[in-house]
Amino acid sequence: MIYKLLRFVSCIHILVLSAIAPHLYAQKEQSLCEVTVRGVRPERFMVGQKVQEIDSVQLTRFHYSTLADFLQFQSPVAFKSYGAGQATSIAFRGTSANHTAVLWNGVNINSPSLGQSDFSTIPVAGFDQMSVQYGSAASCVGTDAVGGSIQLRSVPDFRQKGLQTLAAFRLESSENYTGQVGLRFNHKAGKNWIISGKTSLYGSNLNNYFGTNPQRTRQGESYSFEPTRTTQKGVVQDLYWQHQKGNLFSLNLWLTDNTLTIQPHQVPLREVTRTQAYRVLGSYQIGKTLIRTGFIRDVIDYGKGENLTPSHTEIDRFILRAEHDFSWIQSCDKGTNLKIGAELVHYNARVDGYGDEVKRENRADVYALLRHQFNGKLSASLNLRQAFVTRFSPPFTPSLGVEYTAFTRPRTKISFSGNTSLSYRVPTLNERYWVNLGNPELRPERGFNKEIGVTWKQRLAEMNQFSVSLTAFHNLIDDWTYWNPERNYRVENLQQVLSKGLEFTFGLKTQWHKTQLDANLNYGLTDASQQKTYGPYTQDFIGKQLIYVPRHTFAGTLTATHGKGSLTVQQQFNSARYSTFDHSGRPFAPYYLLNAVLNYQFQKGNFRSDIALQGNNLTNTVYPNLKKNAMPLRTLSLNVIFYFQSKQTTNES
Amino acid sequence: MNRNYLLIISLLSVGFSACNSTDPVPSQPYDNGVLVINAGNFLDNNGSISLVQRTSTTASYDIFQKENSRTLAGSLSGYAEVNEKGIILVDNSTAGKDGIEIVDARTFKSLTSIPSTEVENPRAVAKATDTKAYVTCWDVTGDFSNFYKNPGYVAVLDLTTNKLTKKIPVQNGAESILVIGNEAFVGNTGSGMTKITVIDIATDAVKQSIEIGRNPELVGLDVNNKLWLYAGGEMIRLNTQTKTVETRFKITSPNASKSPSSFTLSADKKTIYFTHSFYDAADGYLQKGETYSFPIDAAVVVADKPFINRLFSGGLGVDPQTGIIYAGLVPSFKQAGYVLRYQPNGTLIDSVKAEIAPSTFFFKK
Repeated sequence: MIYKLLRFVSCIHILVLSAIAPHLYAQKEQSLCEVTVRGVRPERFMVGQKVQEIDSVQLTRFHYSTLADFLQFQSPVAFKSYGAGQATSIAFRGTSANHTAVLWNGVNINSPSLGQSDFSTIPVAGFDQMSVQYGSAASCVGTDAVGGSIQLRSVPDFRQKGLQTLAAFRLESSENYTGQVGLRFNHKAGKNWIISGKTSLYGSNLNNYFGTNPQRTRQGESYSFEPTRTTQKGVVQDLYWQHQKGNLFSLNLWLTDNTLTIQPHQVPLREVTRTQAYRVLGSYQIGKTLIRTGFIRDVIDYGKGENLTPSHTEIDRFILRAEHDFSWIQSCDKGTNLKIGAELVHYNARVDGYGDEVKRENRADVYALLRHQFNGKLSASLNLRQAFVTRFSPPFTPSLGVEYTAFTRPRTKISFSGNTSLSYRVPTLNERYWVNLGNPELRPERGFNKEIGVTWKQRLAEMNQFSVSLTAFHNLIDDWTYWNPERNYRVENLQQVLSKGLEFTFGLKTQWHKTQLDANLNYGLTDASQQKTYGPYTQDFIGKQLIYVPRHTFAGTLTATHGKGSLTVQQQFNSARYSTFDHSGRPFAPYYLLNAVLNYQFQKGNFRSDIALQGNNLTNTVYPNLKKNAMPLRTLSLNVIFYFQSKQTTNES
Repeated sequence: MNRNYLLIISLLSVGFSACNSTDPVPSQPYDNGVLVINAGNFLDNNGSISLVQRTSTTASYDIFQKENSRTLAGSLSGYAEVNEKGIILVDNSTAGKDGIEIVDARTFKSLTSIPSTEVENPRAVAKATDTKAYVTCWDVTGDFSNFYKNPGYVAVLDLTTNKLTKKIPVQNGAESILVIGNEAFVGNTGSGMTKITVIDIATDAVKQSIEIGRNPELVGLDVNNKLWLYAGGEMIRLNTQTKTVETRFKITSPNASKSPSSFTLSADKKTIYFTHSFYDAADGYLQKGETYSFPIDAAVVVADKPFINRLFSGGLGVDPQTGIIYAGLVPSFKQAGYVLRYQPNGTLIDSVKAEIAPSTFFFKK
């Protein structure tokens, strides 16, 4: 399989070898003169770290997807899925799902009870921009960012004219249906203000129906489908008021409601998990000062059978953050940025498993992010963070990063980067408060991450450029928590994990006759293993690849655009994954997935439509999820988006 | 959600099945040896059966997969043989996906699969006659406020047609089953029921129920043909003819928080082995305990001198041929367990690496 894959990859190289993906590292590369109007995004301080900006064209094209379905083709991270439409988490660089911070407009939205996000409940439609950061970034973003972080952002579009309405639907042959309506507007209010906003409503009914017969893999294993239904609905409301002088009020609201029913057709057998999130942020950016307040409520209800008396988890967070950006800019190539900030979060947890008492706690973070650009070639960052948590003491986490451009020619640029950082994870509320099994005495997990990288960017012509980057990382995570079976599954700080590996990224943008080709290929080699024994029968684990971490991962997206038509091909490969610490039993076999989307754009006057035919899992690969049930086979879907742009006068009135 | 779920699931115990043996016939790969039933880890659905030869310290792993190119899709709750057919109980983590696999006991080739629509939460299987087996089932379980919400049943498996022919309703949480003469005795777990059910094998109908004590677990038949049970914290000896309790006593221990489990009778049916353990709150809930024994004629049982100074969470079995004790050691549900073998006097013989959660044993010829 891997040989086939490599051959395929090299064919692609030959086909289109020449050029860059400008979206890679875009924000990090802005010159000092470009970035200073308002606050500076935290990624800018991640000097020496790998940050992948996800192409907005891809985000638009896969608007219907969940983040779980979308991201696996964009990035070489490991996915852990309990089934299509079921809990899916991701893990960076050999770490666990708890080691991924998911931030929405800068605020960590991981479930506080589980310390992770279920990517099957996050639709791509819920945000406007996304970047994926690899490695520890706790000094920039706080807890959980031990293995990596995902930044989801809502951004105003003040350049847009008038009112744009959108209606979209997707029909997939596996009885999956998705619909969405929305509008974006931009309105000049009085002399000094512009109001911009976005309203979006979406809903899905995903049955993932592939019949009832078991399917055989190419290796001869047989897997059957688990009957499930996932319904999703959500509302996104973004409003921005911008003053002529640049001050900005923002209101971001995102409500999600996800219901997973296992055995939906047999009421006595069914298992229902409803996950809801209410997220509201109000921000005020005055000059270089940002004041942000927020409220997040995460609700999980789980019940079985006819009379659902669900077990209930409800956790509220009240957030207050203040940040100020300082900058001392001497030229576009030389200057210093400093961001200092503080955040307070109050938690209220009403969880059946924690007993009758409402668990309350306060968390605070103070941070200083410093970036200095010495000249056009050398920049460095020093970031410091100290968190405070009720009845708990997180460690001080600094990070230091350097980027150096060793070679610059008009068409060629070779740069080196390096970063070293400490990271931490505050244990989840379940880990600390679960009656008897939780352990209030837990220590924070601590990571020590080092990485170096080299990037080569080559421009052959205006529309003909490529970039290649290679990153090596080494992340030692100590006090990794584990639900210890010897202690009736009580949580303890038992494990020490060393994760090291290489990541290779290839980005390409080129033109071939009148066809534009874009490619983004990612390969990851990960070696993650237990370093210390923690019991008499753990000797066997030392040095063995951690469970669910594939040694080789590959994710690639290729797009060919010709006039109004385009073809996008997505691929993913995962090598074998073990489900036991000692590698006993049969590992999950390697698998390869191939999707393709044929898109055509119609335009008439103010009316525009994108019509796409999408084929998922074209090779009809049978592969299992963690529960050993079959994952989706080949499907075909019709995706349609209608845009209507109102007369442009609204803006001018 | 999943971790919440896992937490709760992890509190569920693994069931036991009765062990019977069958007649000898010409040589086939699985004619001899000891089958180790590895329960697997619940949400991983990775139960398996290993074969250990009596004289070997290595095992053949996942023999069902080896012979059928597919794995058993669930945890395993029991195994029995009837007339050269092996009956494997499969409990998938998803309701409605459980099943019973019937294999040729000598080749382990699959003969048929009883579909999931016919059986839910199979827990233990016992040979009733040469053409019939009984399978205890919980039926569909509820959420954790009322887990054993449905009455249990005993599914009657006809091994001439390999089909389920009847479901005999019994008490909630139906678990252990033992066939004695023309009667099958059915105990239960967890539901708090206090009576065992007696089924007439000739008619597949409930004959009577006998008050025993809370959550009665069947232990086995001793040398005097008396049935031992454990219920309501007491050892109980039942006269199966008169259906009356002859004696009941508590196992006492210097540590009152310990509780017994994994009862099994010695080969001569004169001794009962059991483990005695507790979770030590003073030591981070570490599970502590040992293995003890008592003679069936003991008037008082004090668990103060361990028979084997070690705890086995996977269960105990005794080879009727040799009297050797097989003990399942489960370090965690995410790694292979071990089978430790002991002489009837408690001396360690050797250990064999098994698969995930070795829980019960089936002794072949």
